[in-house]
Order: sequence, then structure tokens, then C-alpha cells
Amino acid sequence: MARLDTTRTSAHQLRPFSSSQNLLNRADGSAQFDFGGSSVLCSVVGPAEVKLRDEKLNKATLEVIVRPLVGLPGVKDKACERAIRETLEPIVISALHPRTLVQIVVQTMKDNGSILSTALNAAIMALLDAGIPLNSIIGSVTCIIDSKTNEILLDPTTEEIARAKSTHVFVFDNKSSIPSSTSASMDVDISNDDDGSPRPLFSESTGLFTEEEYLECVNISFKACQAVHGFIRTAVSKKIEKEHQQTQA
Amino acid sequence: MAPPVQNTPAEQQDGEQYESGLHVILPGDLLPPTQSQDSEDVVMAPVIKLGPGLQPMSDESIVAVKAGILQSTASANRWWVQSNQKRYVPSSGESVIGIVRGKTAEHYKLDIGAAHPALLGVMAFEGATKRNRPNHEASILGDLLYCRVALANKDMDPELECFNPTTGKADGYGGLEGGHVFKVSLGLARRLLDPKTLVLRLLGQHIPFETAVGINGRVWINSASASHTILVCNAIKNSEYLSPKECESMVKSLIQKM
Repeated sequence: MARLDTTRTSAHQLRPFSSSQNLLNRADGSAQFDFGGSSVLCSVVGPAEVKLRDEKLNKATLEVIVRPLVGLPGVKDKACERAIRETLEPIVISALHPRTLVQIVVQTMKDNGSILSTALNAAIMALLDAGIPLNSIIGSVTCIIDSKTNEILLDPTTEEIARAKSTHVFVFDNKSSIPSSTSASMDVDISNDDDGSPRPLFSESTGLFTEEEYLECVNISFKACQAVHGFIRTAVSKKIEKEHQQTQA
Repeated sequence: MAPPVQNTPAEQQDGEQYESGLHVILPGDLLPPTQSQDSEDVVMAPVIKLGPGLQPMSDESIVAVKAGILQSTASANRWWVQSNQKRYVPSSGESVIGIVRGKTAEHYKLDIGAAHPALLGVMAFEGATKRNRPNHEASILGDLLYCRVALANKDMDPELECFNPTTGKADGYGGLEGGHVFKVSLGLARRLLDPKTLVLRLLGQHIPFETAVGINGRVWINSASASHTILVCNAIKNSEYLSPKECESMVKSLIQKM
């Protein structure tokens, strides 16, 4: 079945990723992440001095600011801020830096669908660049169920989202990917998480869908997230290796 | 501590790379098991000392919390992640450059680039007593001081001192007069502290200059003329991502332009 996005042939095909880290000179960490025609630039400042009002005695305060492509931030951007903050809060080991602020600023550069996923991927890469202690790395993808064909499409464009019956955003970490990928040898391992089914860290769904459709979306997104994890690992490793080799005397 | 179990797919892929010495590790990766020869010696379980970027988990495995290169010393079984960042997190014993931001009867408040202002006691100078206060007493807002982090704790503001605690002498700590201070990444600052650093050696062949490097990413340069100071600052800032050869030609071209 042909997609509205004619650059892709398959329903489960992601747009090409690209990213770069340490773009901004004055931020402690920054990254740009692109999903094809969607692009997000993210900066991280921290651990920095925190306003007394926001100070938490036992952990770092995580502040997320989402800036839209044009105009002033609206309700949608505030919802996006909340989603990103609540996803990252358990990932950042905030107890290591109590009474500090970690500020994440997310700026949309190009919007062609799946912007929340792009922002989450950019944010984790910026946090890695800033050296903020993290439990794990996360990856996010968006998928939709097409209203005409009832097919699950990964990484939709704006045009495809407009024709969607329902939209789903998922986040998975690189730890939850361990059980299912090595599920064959899991019998011997301390398998505290039940059957090795994918466990999303974050899931946001809008529209009408059945339970089967949702579970199908989870499974497909989980596989796609592993591609995102792989990409992030390769991108970060390449950057670190390059820096290391250039600085070897 | 039991040797951690190796079970992430990535670790298995990187297995050979690890042998070659460059092992890039990302948050969530588990530390590969230690290759201890005396495995029969159950009583003497290997003691692992963890440095920056590694955290022990509740199940006795060790997990990385930062992206970087996994490094270790064979002798003391120390493990750490070598990474580069821009924000300084104080750690005791490190030498930093601070800017005086405030003063009370007992403390100077210094900005060392960390999340919290650092405290430097007015008595924390060489030969300071209640009667005899050294002339650093005259420090005013904006002055630069080269200090040592005496106390660093995540729950408390860092504390500084301007003398070497083993000798009680200043040993180079104290005020920095004149010159220019600029910021670099923490990784570059660490490299500049090595006396064999290429860029400083090359510059030193052409220009006489004084330098103080704080591990908090601040570098102070002083020389006879402003143009020399600017040149040295630019050369150091440019040198971060250059190979030795590129670094040589960069310094050469800067010297020629002068």
C-alpha cells in the first residue's frame, strides 16, 4: 500500500535520521536531531544554579522549555514540555546533583510530523553531550493508524497525520530492549520483568483505536526504537572516538 | 563485589574493540566482567574502585551513567569513564580558578563555574592567623584567585583554600594579577594541565607567557603584551580538536601573522 509520503515505500519505514552534537557554544550541551523533514535543536544547561522557588533539596530540578517554529509557545507546546519533562525525570539521575537546575530548551527547526519524538531524541542526545548522569538512553518514535487503509504507518509526516485515525507516540529505553532481544536465553536470567514484552516509558495516544491495534503499535514502535537507539549509539560513539583520536599526541 | 554480568547486546558487539583499548560506553551499559586471574580465591573478591561516570546498581552490577571512553588501571582495579563536558562539578583536591563574587566577615564567595558558589575562608591562606591577615584580604569583587577545592559534597556548597594542606605553603595558589581569563571545555583544561601539552610547548618556543589552568575549564594567560596574550588564547581555543600536525601548522600560521 502506497504511503502519502511518496519518498517511502513501506509502512514501517522510518525517514532517514541525522544528528549533530555540541552545536551551541555557550550551552553546556546541545544536539540537533532530524527525522527526515522534521528537525529539532535542543540545548541543555546544567547542573546550574536554581531559583529558590524551584529548588528541590534531594534532587535536581528539571525544566523543559519548548519553543515552537513560529510565534509564542501555546497550549500544545506546554503539553509537549510536560511530556518531555515527565519522560526524562526518571531517566536523569537527579539525586547526584541536588539543589541544582537542569534546563532543557527545545527549539523546533523544521516541522513535518512526529515532532514530539524528534524532540525527545534531540533532548536525550543533548543530555548525553552535557554529561548529565543518566540511567539509560531513550529513543522515541511516532506511529499512526491510517483512517482509509487501517494500516499502521511509522514516523508519519504532517500530511499523513492529518489522515490518521489515531496517533501514538512511544518512548523505550535501551534497557527494556535487553529482555526481548535475547528472549531465547532469558529462562536462566533473573527475569523480573515478566514475559519480555516491550515496556514503553511513555505512551501518548490520540484518536480511536482498539486494544489489538494499540498493542500492534507498541510492538512495531519498539522495533523502530531499537533502530533509534542504534543510531544514537553510533552517532555518540563516532563523536567520542573522533575527539579521542584527534587529541592523541 | 562480584564481577558484573555482561548482558547487553552492544557489549558483545564491542567486545573486540575493548581489547584494542578504545571502548565507548553509553548510559545504561553494564561494565564488562573483570578478567581476574585468581578466580579460585573466592574470599578475596576483587575490589573495584569506581571513578566518574560509573555507578553501582542494587544488584551489584556496575552501570555507566555518562557517555565516554571506559578506562581502567590494571594495578588498583580502578574504572572510570573519560568524557568531556563544559559544566564543572567540584571534586575535592582539584585546582580551580575562581572569581570573587562577594565577601562576608569570614568568607569570600567565589564563582568557580559550578552550580553553587564556592566559599573561601579568609583564613584559608598561607600564614593566615586571626592577628595576621594576609594581603589577600584586599581582594575585591571580580578578582581572580587560583585555589584548591578543599571540600566538595553534592549536598553542601564547595569550600576552597589557597594553600597546599600538606606543606601549609601557598605553592602557587593565590591571586592572579593582570592577564586574561577564558573558558574552555573541561577535557581541554585537563589536557592543558599536562606539562607535555603540544600547544603550550609550541607557543612557549615563540612567546614568553604565564599560564594558570583551572580544572573547572578556566584558563588564565598573562604575557608582556596584549597581542601576545590574545594570540595564546586563540591558539589554545583552536587547539581542542586538532591533531598534532594540524596544531603545529595552526600555531605556525598564527605566529607568522603576528
